[in-house]
Amino acid sequence: MGQFQVGPGDAVAGGFTGPKPEEISQLMDGELDGGRVDEVCAGLRDAGCVATWVCYHVIGESLRGSATVTSGFSERFAHRLAAEPTVLAPQPRKTTPAAAALAIAATVAAISVVGWVALTTMPTAPTALATARQAAMVRAADARPPIDNEYVLVHQEYSPTTAIQGVRPYLRAVAASEPDARP
Amino acid sequence: MRARRTRAAAECRCPSRRANLRAGLALATLFVVPVAFGQDAAQWLQRAATAARTLNYVGTIAYQRVGRIETSRLVHFSDAGNEFEKLTNLDGPAREVIRQNDQVRCYYSDAKLVRIEPRALHNVFPSLLPQQLATLTEFYTFRKAETARVAGMETQAFVFEPKDGMRYGHKFWADVSTGLLLKARLLNEKGETVEQFAFTDIQIGAKLDRDMFRPPFAAPPPDWQVHETPTGDVAPQDTGWMVKDLPPGFSKVIEGYRTLRGKTGQVAHLVFSDGLVAVSVFVEATPATPQAVGPSQLGGLNVYSRPLNEYLVTVLGEAPGATVRQIAYSVSRR
Repeated sequence: MGQFQVGPGDAVAGGFTGPKPEEISQLMDGELDGGRVDEVCAGLRDAGCVATWVCYHVIGESLRGSATVTSGFSERFAHRLAAEPTVLAPQPRKTTPAAAALAIAATVAAISVVGWVALTTMPTAPTALATARQAAMVRAADARPPIDNEYVLVHQEYSPTTAIQGVRPYLRAVAASEPDARP
Repeated sequence: MRARRTRAAAECRCPSRRANLRAGLALATLFVVPVAFGQDAAQWLQRAATAARTLNYVGTIAYQRVGRIETSRLVHFSDAGNEFEKLTNLDGPAREVIRQNDQVRCYYSDAKLVRIEPRALHNVFPSLLPQQLATLTEFYTFRKAETARVAGMETQAFVFEPKDGMRYGHKFWADVSTGLLLKARLLNEKGETVEQFAFTDIQIGAKLDRDMFRPPFAAPPPDWQVHETPTGDVAPQDTGWMVKDLPPGFSKVIEGYRTLRGKTGQVAHLVFSDGLVAVSVFVEATPATPQAVGPSQLGGLNVYSRPLNEYLVTVLGEAPGATVRQIAYSVSRR
């Protein structure tokens, strides 16, 4: 983790005092004071801060057992990010009913660095920024992958329990607004 | 002896026959099964499935999962071989599921969306192959439990208790006089309820007619979207994918490719069942937009997704998180 650690002084760019690593952590956890969100997001333009952000995500992913990045990811990521920042802007998200609320919860995990950095460097994305702010309220630990409603529906077809309960298991697909809390 | 012969005959015919024939065979098998094993278990399941399909009933149903309760109105009507079923949620945004025989339409008023699932229910029960019924008694202990009142009706409870940690426990409450399930519960290894469907009131044998199953409108208003899932089942074929370390008792029900809305390219779909629940394995090409991976849960449904080379593997089923995860991690190329 040492190689990713960035001290507050390192993030200074043009007189701008960058966010402290603990503030980045708080932002990810949705525990950052609301008044600091904008400034910390803005600070994420700095490569050192991106490294910290990536590092914390890698740790989080490892703890959740879903780490898939290889060594040198941070450097490669930062390099590619610098090379083509606009390409990484998030697509307008299509909201299916079940996914609507999930999408917000998943924002932190799904678009993570990509979304945040792109959003904060795009002054013309108020809606996306609002979404991001909302996402900041969601504890990263609670962010779970959205459940693909398409998969739930076709799975139902083959589930023996559907046979004895008729259309009732469809409640899962219809009532679903967000996944349950992490067990 | 007779049972074994019949089962063997059913097994060798199944893969090559159409679904409705499979239905007949599987139901016939259910009648034969008690000779060999699990008489009560098969009879209860058979009776519940028949009751759910043939009776007319209307009631309020509560769907409960981890600290949430959602209530819905359920109406079921069977007339001259035609089946109609309507589920309307009573909390939150108005949503409705209307089933006419095999076709399921989901109306999401909040998103102005109609989803049409053309053949969503057509081969559910037959997918219970004879050997899966055999695994039922091998991996679950079936017992009759207490009698209890549910929604004002006398019910008999019965339980499928798992013999290992790879599956959830099931408890069902069936109306004594008709066999209709009035309450169904999934339990984890600690005996805690993971998910429950329960009628809070019900009228069995209610006077109903087809008009009650009219969709909210004849044609969707112009600002509504209509999403129709392409017709056709999984065309059974070898996808080249396999699950190396399948939990005991699970066997493959079907394997093939599906065309799904919102997915580029075909998605490999493999279904495994232990006779009481199913677990689906989906393998798609890595989506263009980054996907979150890891575990998710929706009541009794556990989901686990992980990247595998240039693919994204998603496993979901009515089984504990560890089971779904194990399957996800043992998906590989044959």
